[in-house]
Amino acid sequence: MSLLEDLQKIIDDKNRVSTSPSELYCYSLDASQIEGMPDVVVRPLSTEEVSKILKLAYHQKISVTARGAGTGLAGGAVPLKGGIVLDMSAMKRVIEVDVANLQAEVEPGLVRDDFNQALKPYGFFYPPDPGSSAMCTIGGMIANNASGMRCIKYGTTKAYVLDLEVVLADGTVINTGSRVLKSSAGYDLTRLMTGSEGTLGVITRARLKITPLPKSRRLILTAFRSAEDAGRAVVRVLSSGITPSACEILDRTTINVLKQCDKRLVLPDGDVILFEVDGTEASTKEEAKRIAKVCTPTAISISMASSQREMEETWAARKLVGASISRLQPEKSRVYVGEDVGVPIKRIPEILEKVQEISDDIGLPAMKFGHVGDGNLHVALFIDVTKNDQRDKLMEAADRIHVAALDLGGTVASEHGIGRARAQYMRRQHGPALDVMRAIKRALDPIGILNPGKLDLELE
Amino acid sequence: MSRVTNVDFSAINRCVRCGTCRSVCPVFKEVGWESAGARGRILTAKGILEGRKIDSSALQSLSTCTTCGICAEICPAGIDPVGAVEEARGFMSNQGFALPEHSILKEKVRATGNIFGDLGSRQGWLRNSLSQFKQQSRRGPSAGRKVDYIYFVGCLESYRYPETSAKTFNLLSRFGVGLLEDEGCCGSPLIRTGFDATGLIDHNLKQITASGAHSVIASCAGCYATLKKYYPADFGILSISEFLAGKISDLGLKPLDMTVTYHDPCHLGRRNKIYDPPRKVIKAICDLEEMKARRGQSRCCGGGGGVRAGHKDLSMNLARKRLGDVPEGVDCIVTSCPLCVRNLKDAGGNAVDLIDLVDVALKPTLDLKPLNKGECALRRSL
Repeated sequence: MSLLEDLQKIIDDKNRVSTSPSELYCYSLDASQIEGMPDVVVRPLSTEEVSKILKLAYHQKISVTARGAGTGLAGGAVPLKGGIVLDMSAMKRVIEVDVANLQAEVEPGLVRDDFNQALKPYGFFYPPDPGSSAMCTIGGMIANNASGMRCIKYGTTKAYVLDLEVVLADGTVINTGSRVLKSSAGYDLTRLMTGSEGTLGVITRARLKITPLPKSRRLILTAFRSAEDAGRAVVRVLSSGITPSACEILDRTTINVLKQCDKRLVLPDGDVILFEVDGTEASTKEEAKRIAKVCTPTAISISMASSQREMEETWAARKLVGASISRLQPEKSRVYVGEDVGVPIKRIPEILEKVQEISDDIGLPAMKFGHVGDGNLHVALFIDVTKNDQRDKLMEAADRIHVAALDLGGTVASEHGIGRARAQYMRRQHGPALDVMRAIKRALDPIGILNPGKLDLELE
Repeated sequence: MSRVTNVDFSAINRCVRCGTCRSVCPVFKEVGWESAGARGRILTAKGILEGRKIDSSALQSLSTCTTCGICAEICPAGIDPVGAVEEARGFMSNQGFALPEHSILKEKVRATGNIFGDLGSRQGWLRNSLSQFKQQSRRGPSAGRKVDYIYFVGCLESYRYPETSAKTFNLLSRFGVGLLEDEGCCGSPLIRTGFDATGLIDHNLKQITASGAHSVIASCAGCYATLKKYYPADFGILSISEFLAGKISDLGLKPLDMTVTYHDPCHLGRRNKIYDPPRKVIKAICDLEEMKARRGQSRCCGGGGGVRAGHKDLSMNLARKRLGDVPEGVDCIVTSCPLCVRNLKDAGGNAVDLIDLVDVALKPTLDLKPLNKGECALRRSL
């Protein structure tokens, strides 16, 4: 019996299993430069189906790669060794909103913004907010320990996961936690699974902490003469005891792109830091004043968003800035490489300087933006993808950016994961800890069927 | 250009596969498979244009796009995925790949000049009209006289909504409007599904030029978008709503005690940014309560891009979704496109053309009094 026939016995709905060439091709890519063709794509609807599929795959030694919305930037959902892709996006229910216990239970295919829409009537929200919030799934966010602009205050995904239902490589279903908000009972398997990129199991349900929506938000726009000055201002603000709810850098290249894309946007000139504070009316007013005071000695301008609408428009533009260069230079495309480095906060000015140096040296323009408040810098490199020499330069720039971040005691992936695109840096970043990860991988996935080829987990 | 000769790869290359379009593509939301969304279609197009084998799965992927263009509204890279889809459809049809339903549609249009393959007169709707219509029609280019405006009737209104055509013409005749002697399909259904429409365009164009009219008025969003994009721009193109919005003070509209909602046809709204004129006309007649998703964010009725012809179930599901946006308690859904009217009606919606609303407001008393709120005057009159 063929794999397809076996899967159709489990799924019993031809519309949820596909081997059509175009479908397979669409699932051979995500938003990274990594490619790998699956043999079959399945859209499960229940934990039971996922468990049966994994049992089948385990016995037949077939690779299984879980996928959410395929918005990943490191090839995490790309099936490098073929096999089965589990498109989890059909499992998208909000199972329970339990406000009394400050938590909700959801299926992994639920889109992040849809989750927050469901929480809004309760006056609560789920804070991790990647730029892809409108389409990325909760499962994908957990698998990559995703974060976003407001994680400087609220923390990353791992701070919100209380319990995961996970299907292991052999089809066994486990729960990693419980409803309690804290627990000291044994190994923290929830944290182990969070960020494991589908290499240890397939998440089929998640119990997540939720947080009350703030009553007030204020946006302070500060501009500086250089990106390095801007970075130094961030360090001063944070060390003065203020915890903004967002702290984003938009360097002058990025500002120019944004302004040209949308002439209505009210943005200052220069290298800009957007500080957001949230809380009560009184607390945000006070904190906004304090931020302005700390920035005054070096800023060339300081202003406050004048309305809720202006604030929303600024954030909406920020979220979509990554690919916007193509609007101005249609022959250029953003290519996501070297885009997610992070360094200790104090070393932000150094990484900014280093990235500019690499950009100038290689001759590729770079937009620098990101969640600078938690040390995370997104570098947008753009090239004419039809020109091979530019692609070579791009890869060289990405490599040098990764190495620069590691040299500063940082990470090659702050919130986008390792996948395949950054697997070659795992040893350098983790040293012998990589061997521990490999041992864990072997223990949980002894025959290596779960998302193979990622995170450099296979033995050399 | 109505036929793909040189495929433009730039849009495809600029797609960074971020997947933002997943959050809005109505077909993707309905189907759920990656190939049924804008990103998937761009990938499919990329694949076949780079030499991957064209097969039924590629056809399935590309033929499910309604060309509603909501993806283009949100794309961070500024790509118009609809353009890429239409180019890829053209590329496929040149290689002999098309849905059977679309091939049949093409044959019908080419054989008869209309999408229904109807051998009857395109101006049959004039037969049952008032004599003044007939008189007016004879004053048009068919009688060798010059007119200022041409009313481009379109296939749907000619053959399926003859009363609406008659009402439209009756109204427009006050302003020196004529008809083309031998109007043919504008070409939209062929262009949308990847076929060559040059012959149709040339046929209509010669007559428009000969008419001496300075403007063409289209009452169908598909015709309007096609005339605007594919016909040389040496005459003006107006949608019926634009024309009427400019003539409100001349129309003598009577207010109606009713509340309607307005559905933005994709090819009029998003594709051509005509949002305010139909609303201006409606507000001159009655109350307007907006749909949940409107203007640039309006959801597609599911009828466009050959989806109604090629994927009827999908088309109906999309229409039912759109009906979910209708505010409670309104008397009817007004729109400015006969294809939207048809699809929304088929899905159970009480949809009427803007012209039908205007027509009721023009009639002095009729049998509609008293017009109480909640009592759908249009439903009774149509």
